[in-house]
Amino acid sequence: MSNPVSYFFSCVFVIIAHGAMLFNVFQNGNYESVNDVITLCTAVIGLDAAYFIVMPFFKQRTYAVDFMLLLILNMSNIFQSCFGGVHLDLKHFITGIAALVSCRIGCIACRNHRWIQDKKKFVWVGIGVLMIVIFLFCGSRSMWIDLGFMTIQPSEFIKPLLVLACATSISEQQNKHKVLGFNVVYENLILFGIVAAVILFQWWCRDLGSIPTFAAIYASGFLLRICYPKAKFSKKTLIIAGSCVAAAGIVAVILAPPYVKDRLFVDIWNDDVNGYQQTKALIGIAEGGWFGKGPGEGFLHNVVAYESDIVFSTICEEWGLLYALMTALMLLVIVAMPLVNPPRSYYHATMCAGVCAAFTVQMALNIFGSCNMIPFTGVTIPFISAGGSSMVASGLMIGMIAAAQSPVFKNPKPKKSRKQAKRRTS
Amino acid sequence: MGSMNLILCAAAAAALDICALVLILASYSERRSERKAWSKISADMELADQNRSYALECDEILIGRHASADIRLPDMSVSRYHAMLNVTDGKWTITDIGSKSGIYVNGVHVQHVRLYDNDIITLGNRRLIFRKRRERN
Repeated sequence: MSNPVSYFFSCVFVIIAHGAMLFNVFQNGNYESVNDVITLCTAVIGLDAAYFIVMPFFKQRTYAVDFMLLLILNMSNIFQSCFGGVHLDLKHFITGIAALVSCRIGCIACRNHRWIQDKKKFVWVGIGVLMIVIFLFCGSRSMWIDLGFMTIQPSEFIKPLLVLACATSISEQQNKHKVLGFNVVYENLILFGIVAAVILFQWWCRDLGSIPTFAAIYASGFLLRICYPKAKFSKKTLIIAGSCVAAAGIVAVILAPPYVKDRLFVDIWNDDVNGYQQTKALIGIAEGGWFGKGPGEGFLHNVVAYESDIVFSTICEEWGLLYALMTALMLLVIVAMPLVNPPRSYYHATMCAGVCAAFTVQMALNIFGSCNMIPFTGVTIPFISAGGSSMVASGLMIGMIAAAQSPVFKNPKPKKSRKQAKRRTS
Repeated sequence: MGSMNLILCAAAAAALDICALVLILASYSERRSERKAWSKISADMELADQNRSYALECDEILIGRHASADIRLPDMSVSRYHAMLNVTDGKWTITDIGSKSGIYVNGVHVQHVRLYDNDIITLGNRRLIFRKRRERN
């Protein structure tokens, strides 16, 4: 641990922030029995304490991102446990713990870019396997796999893998090959193919809300390729690429099937079917005002997807616009941490940019969609909305940011052949 | 909602803000400790020419004439993308990435070589010294 004093004060202030929220629940919340509040307090403060005890065993140099994640996750636990009346949302609590575990996994796996660059083919294979799983088990009208006791959304796990694919391929920009008279980098072509396939799959599954997130991850990777000194992108290439993307977007909107166009241009106040959630969400925001009606006092929990698609409005209604905006700010702060402690390699910088792009776009789609400023997509706010797959995938992505904060620069140990190993043992 | 409850809401929001601020400050203090860790990884080296010194603060550093190079040497004898410095396990190496005038380390033409303290690197007409970082007042 580099700074025990900073560690201690971070722990104390995270507990104070959660304590203040829980006191607010106790004073203003809608609960039948005080035991419900005590259970919630025990779960939240217990998780905080357990995390502070466990974290030093990981022996990393930086902790700020992990504490920020814990702050957001337990805020989310309190929000979700208060919707429609105070009681601990055990499912959300467990998925929160799963997100913390996946963050650790993401951090450990991504710290050393030389190690993961050796394994980048597994990243591509992982994306391919997930697409096959979507093709075989989800079908063209769904994005979920129902296991009976739980449902999984495989497309969520493509997001961290795509970020990794962008990051691991950035160091190959100098390895250009002549193909049909053009200097091309094979990995750029592979990456473009992967993104195009993923976006087409999302279109096929009718999960159009996720397309901007994938496009944003790829766009951030592409932009960093331009910034990468070895890339040597010419202005002409960039103008052609930009024009192609703009043309593809226009063509997609023109040729979009009717169900997409219906979603793009909805008069929510006159359309009872497509505009119901948004009208209720807007009314909820207005009724909540700056400080909200009080935890558990809202009516939005009667609307479909109150805990995921319109979660921002539900928070606004119960906790107030001020608190909801601060929640969004916390998410922006966690993805902006690399600005305070900048990464020291292009790989880590690309990874952080990809995660930042994905989180920002997801938040923007959810919040602006709820407020009827853009078409309603049903994309989740990372960590705040309910949903196990989203939580675990977002945890992995925050693990990547944590990895960029305390990176490792070591060459992986060379693999020993079996013959060498036998010789040594004999 | 009563005024007491409003105060409680505002206090909870303020506590959240202060916590975020504390975590940002913690991250800033980690940045300083990360700098120390980086000086160990990079063996605390720097590149210097007659006029100025260049800190080596990344694991891959491009030297060239182009504006996007990490270390920019505005000299026509230096290629736009001339050489790449890399560090692994505290060992720095320099690699020629297709320059016209090549790289000379201590007067010897090289393609890829490990660098040691006080090595003199010649890129076109420019001479750089690879040396231990010196504290600036």
